[in-house]
Amino acid sequence: MRLTRRAALAAPLSAIAAPLAAQGWPAQPIRLIVPFAPGGTTDLIARLIAAPLQERLGQPVVIENRPGAGATLGSQMAAQAAPDGHTLLLSNIASHAISPALYANLRYDALRDFTHIALLTLNPSVIVANPRAGIASMADLARAHRESPRGLDMASSGAGSSNHLLIVRLGQMLGREINHIPFRGAGPAMTAVIAGQVPLMSDSLPSAAAHIRQGSVRAVAMSSAERHPAFPEVATLREQGFDLVTNSWFGLSGPARLPAPVVERLARELREILSLGEIRARFAEFGGAPGALSPAEFTAFVAAELAAWAPLVRESGAQPD
Amino acid sequence: MELLLSNLAHGFGVALSLQNLTFALLGALIGTAIGVLPGIGPVATISLLLPITFGLPATTAIIMLAGIFYGAQYGGSTTSILLNLPGEVSSVVTTLEGYKMARNGRAGAALAIAAIGSFFAGSVATILVAASGPLLTQVALSFGPADYFSLMLLGLIIACVLAQGSVVKAIGMVVLGVALGLVGTDVQTGQQRFTFGIPELSDGIGFVPIAMGMFGIAEIILNLERPEARSVLKSKVGSLWLTRQEWLRATPSVLRGTVVGSFLGILPGGGASLAAFGSYMMERKVSRGRHEFGKGAIEGVAGPEAANNAAAQTSFIPLLTLGIPSNAVMALMVGALIIQGIQPGPRMVEAQPDLFWGLIASMWVGNLMLLVINLPLIGMWVKLLQVPYKFLYPSILVFCCIGVYSLNNNVFDVYMTVLFTVFGYMCNKLRLEPAPMLIGFVLGPMMEEHLRRAMLLSRGDWMVFVQRPISATMLGIAAFALVLMALPNIRKGKDQALAG
Repeated sequence: MRLTRRAALAAPLSAIAAPLAAQGWPAQPIRLIVPFAPGGTTDLIARLIAAPLQERLGQPVVIENRPGAGATLGSQMAAQAAPDGHTLLLSNIASHAISPALYANLRYDALRDFTHIALLTLNPSVIVANPRAGIASMADLARAHRESPRGLDMASSGAGSSNHLLIVRLGQMLGREINHIPFRGAGPAMTAVIAGQVPLMSDSLPSAAAHIRQGSVRAVAMSSAERHPAFPEVATLREQGFDLVTNSWFGLSGPARLPAPVVERLARELREILSLGEIRARFAEFGGAPGALSPAEFTAFVAAELAAWAPLVRESGAQPD
Repeated sequence: MELLLSNLAHGFGVALSLQNLTFALLGALIGTAIGVLPGIGPVATISLLLPITFGLPATTAIIMLAGIFYGAQYGGSTTSILLNLPGEVSSVVTTLEGYKMARNGRAGAALAIAAIGSFFAGSVATILVAASGPLLTQVALSFGPADYFSLMLLGLIIACVLAQGSVVKAIGMVVLGVALGLVGTDVQTGQQRFTFGIPELSDGIGFVPIAMGMFGIAEIILNLERPEARSVLKSKVGSLWLTRQEWLRATPSVLRGTVVGSFLGILPGGGASLAAFGSYMMERKVSRGRHEFGKGAIEGVAGPEAANNAAAQTSFIPLLTLGIPSNAVMALMVGALIIQGIQPGPRMVEAQPDLFWGLIASMWVGNLMLLVINLPLIGMWVKLLQVPYKFLYPSILVFCCIGVYSLNNNVFDVYMTVLFTVFGYMCNKLRLEPAPMLIGFVLGPMMEEHLRRAMLLSRGDWMVFVQRPISATMLGIAAFALVLMALPNIRKGKDQALAG
């Protein structure tokens, strides 16, 4: 009898325990898992937002790099963490749009196992050419590809990356496969383009921006829907007759079933952080536009991305297992 | 020349400010400490310390991070020599002769020549960075995939040819190393190879678990097996300074190491490890003490140590002149610069003269500091060998575990280390040299990547390897080395057969 009474008393208590926990959130340092190695674009974005986030939440935001397997190792870890808002993930196009189509034995579901909180930034890809290659526009590129007996070579940061998939699509549109030269990361690929070993490259804007500004490579086309404000002189693929829009993206996500107050608080803080002049300026410097989506919109965005990339991954022939 | 001097003077003005000096010293100290702690490398440390640099001015931040980087090169040689524990690729080579020297009671001399050789090479390389960085970059850029492949093929052939003991066993170990290096995601198709569905293997086997397991921890187990070896090491600490004879032998090696290291450091993707291997191979072939290799030849410490430090400095060249990081540490530097709002690239020299020349001047200042820090410490490090083994070994094992775990914050790497420890122990019992395997492990995947890229670009035409002058030269030297080695080996083989 006493036991049941205690249980009866405890039941409503536990029902309000979750919102209470959310009110007390964050009670301890927050772990922000970055599924890539330190120093890359994903890591930079995480560090840029971690500093103001930490200030606003009053708890340290500790970045934990968990690189490996197309960003799936770190993402799997975040999916399995306790949904108390103390473990977050820097989700991105690799972990939540391409890898799910690429890896057959993935141990997480990009939608069901996560709470998607906010889109941080969108970056277009850009086709760049060695300045001595004589390719300034997509028309030049198409002509050179047609006239060359062996077709054109184009470098990318790696097989299965969004930049590689862009090359596959372009080849389909041109009616002739472009010879894809994969590298380990954007840095070595850019070196090869600057050195003239490969005439063209499909790269994400953040890693290419400095080289375009310095004139060591020439921007041929941007993969965004509209011209990029930082590079208004570079025409989009669509403007040049190639109906193709791709963006790589970075967001903040957590494990599934995060308490609603935590999600709301994070989304609100991030919205304010992303509108800070300093953050906007930094994002613009390496070519990204800050994202502005509500948690529900961001979740729908991830679902749309998943659906859009799956067929391209299949067509690219990239197959890890 | 005048312009260079005035630029350098400007740089020293920046580097010698109290704040920058303090942070250079701090970086050098941290670097030395993490170099001495097995397994905790500069990549992990710099990424941990990156947030601290946000509040610092850009130049100061980079000066400190650079100090950590070359401080680690100095510190890394200490554990390699004393404990046979290489924390990084570049210090594997130092274990080969350095640890033997320590066992012969010449630990002090080995540590001293490592520090002095590093300082000399670092100074020369710094001048090189200042004087001809942009020019050297152009040379490095002319290396295409075919040239890289031929260069690495040459490296592997020399590794087989120069191995101690049985050539057949050495070839076997090189091939095994290459095979282990191929584990992971295929660069071209994204296909997983030899991963058995283990996600942690999809990025390949880490270098540190292999090196640490096969060299360091396996050695600890072997030492526990033979108590008499421990007492020998304990009683024979020996003189801390170099003898006249050692100076005479080490000096040319340092000079050669500096040249090899300075050049190989500039190559994108090359860096300190390739430089150390390159110099070691060269010393085995050309130095006066080549007959003592394997028994503790000072040339085998002096050359590679000079080379890896020279390369550590010159690997800044692609970053500073092209904005392209040549290794993981440099990638972190790019990150640190971008967070500071500076885009590394060709324009950096003009846009950020304080940063560019200040960094170069601080490299030299940092090297001098490291020499001053390290020489007096040699006595202390050598005393480390007198620490009772029951205290020393457990603490080494703990530090190894922490270091390996910190690589990817993943316990999987610790298991891999255990696996390779067992394998390393078996290899020792079977008299199989781990060094050729490690060379194969490092060079194999790079070679494959360049070979396939060269093939992709030439649409499968093998002639590309002899049509390119750099590649053709490398292949020519490789063929020559094979022939040269075959001749005395035939003779030696006959001699052994007769004697046996």
